[in-house]
Amino acid sequence: MKDKFIERPRGFCALGGALHTLVALPGVVPIMHTSMGCGGSIYWNQIGSTGFLGAGYCGGMAVPSSNVQEKDIIFGGTDRLTEQVKNTVKIVDGQLYFVITGCMTDIIGDDIQAVIKDFQDQGISIIGTETGGFKGDGYKGYDLVLQALVKEYVTKKQRKSKGKVNLWGIVPAQDAFWRGNINIIRELLTSLGLQVNAFFTEHDSLSELENAGDAELNIVVSEFYGIEAAKTFAEVHDVPYLATAFPIGPTATNEFLQKVAQKLSLDSAQVNAVIEQGEALYYRYVERIADSYNDLNLQRYAVVVGDGNYAPALTRFLADDLGWLPALTVVTQNFFDEQQEMINQYLTRLSSGYQTQVVFETDASEVQYHLNRIWPRYQGQNYYDPFSPAFVVGSHHERELAQNIGAAHLTVTYPVGNRVVLNRGYAGYTGSLSLIEDLFSVLVASR
Amino acid sequence: MLSYIEQKVAPKREERIGACIEFGGFGDDLKKKFGQGCFRNNDRGFCQGSICQLLPGMSMVTSIPDTVVIIHGSIGCGGAGNSQGANVRGRQIAAGQSNPRGVLWLSTNLNEKDVIIGGEDKLEDAILTADKRYRPAAIIVVSTCVPGIIGDDLDGVVDRVQPRVSASVLPVHCEGFKTKIMATAYDAVYHAIARKLLVGKKTESDVVIDEVEDYREKARLKRTVNLFNVSSMTPQDEKELTRLLNALGLEVRIFPCFAHPEDMIYSTQAALSISTCPTHDDYFVKHLQEKYGVPYILKHMPIGINNTNLWLRDIAAFFHLEDAAERIIERETRELELALAPIKQNLKGKKAMLSAGEVRTLATALWLREFGLELVAVRPYHYDEFGETALTKIVEGGDVTVNVATVHPFESVNIIERTQPDIYLGHNSDNVWAAKSGVATLPIYGGANAYVGYTGAFDIVRRINMVLKNKAFNTNLSKHVRQPYNNKWYNTEPFTYIRQEE
Repeated sequence: MKDKFIERPRGFCALGGALHTLVALPGVVPIMHTSMGCGGSIYWNQIGSTGFLGAGYCGGMAVPSSNVQEKDIIFGGTDRLTEQVKNTVKIVDGQLYFVITGCMTDIIGDDIQAVIKDFQDQGISIIGTETGGFKGDGYKGYDLVLQALVKEYVTKKQRKSKGKVNLWGIVPAQDAFWRGNINIIRELLTSLGLQVNAFFTEHDSLSELENAGDAELNIVVSEFYGIEAAKTFAEVHDVPYLATAFPIGPTATNEFLQKVAQKLSLDSAQVNAVIEQGEALYYRYVERIADSYNDLNLQRYAVVVGDGNYAPALTRFLADDLGWLPALTVVTQNFFDEQQEMINQYLTRLSSGYQTQVVFETDASEVQYHLNRIWPRYQGQNYYDPFSPAFVVGSHHERELAQNIGAAHLTVTYPVGNRVVLNRGYAGYTGSLSLIEDLFSVLVASR
Repeated sequence: MLSYIEQKVAPKREERIGACIEFGGFGDDLKKKFGQGCFRNNDRGFCQGSICQLLPGMSMVTSIPDTVVIIHGSIGCGGAGNSQGANVRGRQIAAGQSNPRGVLWLSTNLNEKDVIIGGEDKLEDAILTADKRYRPAAIIVVSTCVPGIIGDDLDGVVDRVQPRVSASVLPVHCEGFKTKIMATAYDAVYHAIARKLLVGKKTESDVVIDEVEDYREKARLKRTVNLFNVSSMTPQDEKELTRLLNALGLEVRIFPCFAHPEDMIYSTQAALSISTCPTHDDYFVKHLQEKYGVPYILKHMPIGINNTNLWLRDIAAFFHLEDAAERIIERETRELELALAPIKQNLKGKKAMLSAGEVRTLATALWLREFGLELVAVRPYHYDEFGETALTKIVEGGDVTVNVATVHPFESVNIIERTQPDIYLGHNSDNVWAAKSGVATLPIYGGANAYVGYTGAFDIVRRINMVLKNKAFNTNLSKHVRQPYNNKWYNTEPFTYIRQEE
């Protein structure tokens, strides 16, 4: 992990990730204890990076915010926060108010918990946690908010309910397809006969979060995001967790379902039936694109650029299900060595046997350098085996790279500024069908 | 002005010109109280996430070509680059770039350790690497809240590194917590340009002087004017104003947005500086006058027919081209009136509400009233002396509710409930809250549209007419989604949470 500048960071700060997590939860009203520009900064980011995810119920420029000024920074901002909370509760409807903080109020050390305690004593449903931007990225903010909810909002329950699971690991806004993805995973788990708390979808409510403490298992569909919250859950509520790679495509989805089944000791016949059904559905559609895959030769070399969830998941789908050649996988996050090793391990055991090169690189303009490094360069020879035909699956920043190398391009990972995303998801069996549609549609767009 | 430019940091607008962001009442009252200097200590007891000076600052600096922007702060502070990218990319395509990169910016990614030990080394590394990796003409280093409070010496780092890099390095101070007035950003960016890009470099001169060419050049400069865009003018806006000034026989150079860093120095050689929005440009045009003797015009924003006429006449008077201006005005307005007639019928008496930057809001409101719409409320994002010309006209034509607020949609939707406007013209990120109340909206700037000059006057009302032909999207939306406020709020006076000095 390098501690240096980052070119065009691929995400929000901890505060931004926290805010998006809260706005995505039904019934929650965030209250920011920050400088006046933090709200606008997060919003001006999201409208260019999250598939046009709008403000929602009480996000964007409507989010209650203490907007601390220079005088508050000098004399302390808790009076301003107290007034802000008092008036927010008076005019904004919410089932739970949640205070998050920015760099300035964290640095000056405002005691937000003392303020929150006063309101709790008055019977107001309110909690909070420190989320200053310098604490980390948007994924960290997601984890910090979930940890606070797990500790202070989820009711402790002695008896666990068999077959009830909580779903975490897909980060709102950081993943532009979060709504679709959560829904797909939720349905998959439901088909295993489980009762699923997914928290963020239209099927969920805040009371499910409050009552999540009797779950049998926390399922984190990520090896990196929401892990701290799952650990906190285990400590506070004695519920174990399963962290497993974000699955795109039948190969990864089969493995995911088997892992869940194993962890919960589910009836193997039922799990196999679900897997068979999922694969049958997938191939029923894929059969009909097989003509063109073969007649038009739709196999491609690929460069995959994405976060800790997407980079391995896309690579695996392209290699193991689609038969593509993802020669370079760029993980855009500043991961610790052991986290890097997890991704390396995951991608060395692809069922297709294809071997990708994994690099960890935060800066978009450096991806070309890595490609030049791994692929023999043209040196004037008459017969040169180029990196072609190729496809770049990454963010909208990778358009430039794709054009430079004459490759097709699809935006999937943050920032997603050139696509509109509503209920589309790429996870599981059905999501990977959407992904095939989108990839191949690029290839035939000029016809 | 000279004394300001000599300082490292531009003064905040509250102090320089007494600007404010909290007021609710009638325009006349705002004028009077502002004149008495009443607003210094106004504030709100309930606030919503807003816009600090970093955001318009980002919009300006990221537009400058051949430049790398370094946001010195935590990882979230430059995020606006993601939405600004679309704007910049469009300009890059228009400028003929076949593979446009969009906005190139770096974050110094200040973390918990940096907050304790300081971020100067990281910034230095970022500047050195940016110079090597991207070879830009300029590196603009923008400071944010965190370095402002941990005490990083931005100017010190820049001075230290400048001799080791080929790019001009500009420090821009945009610490969000230091001012409530986002318009301070314009001063902050102009300040850096004035200190770093107008001085030190001489424009090239020939060894052997061609006397005819030399005479031509001097004659040309006597007819060359500076025009300013701080990123809110669209390419169509620039084209329209250039067209009008060309018609007067003037050559136009546009600064600072989308102008190359090495071309900024030409702003010192013009015959006249022409502001399109007084609250944007005063800091810079006054500096150009004081230091380089370039006079300026800073009064009207050319939105709507009357204001465009006044804007053009002021410029023409400076060059003694009054007759030419009248001929242009006569020709333009004759054709325009014909085109406007059918639209006028449709829009007569429609109720309008506007919410955006100070002068644009007031000037657009004046145009809509001039065109026959009824104003129900105007919401300038801040108010200072540069709004006075337009506000006076609004008051004289029949006073309306004025709400000075940097977004704050809770006040907006309360006013909407009371006044039921037919059309809402709002700033980017502001319109959706009117939409959720079922009101038709038109963005008040941006996109591929014209807003200024005669073309803009036509385009604004043409598009309002278009929007009002089918309001189904927002009408349906309002039936199925709700605002976050309880019903009690709508029965409360909209300015309840503004504390105003009497």
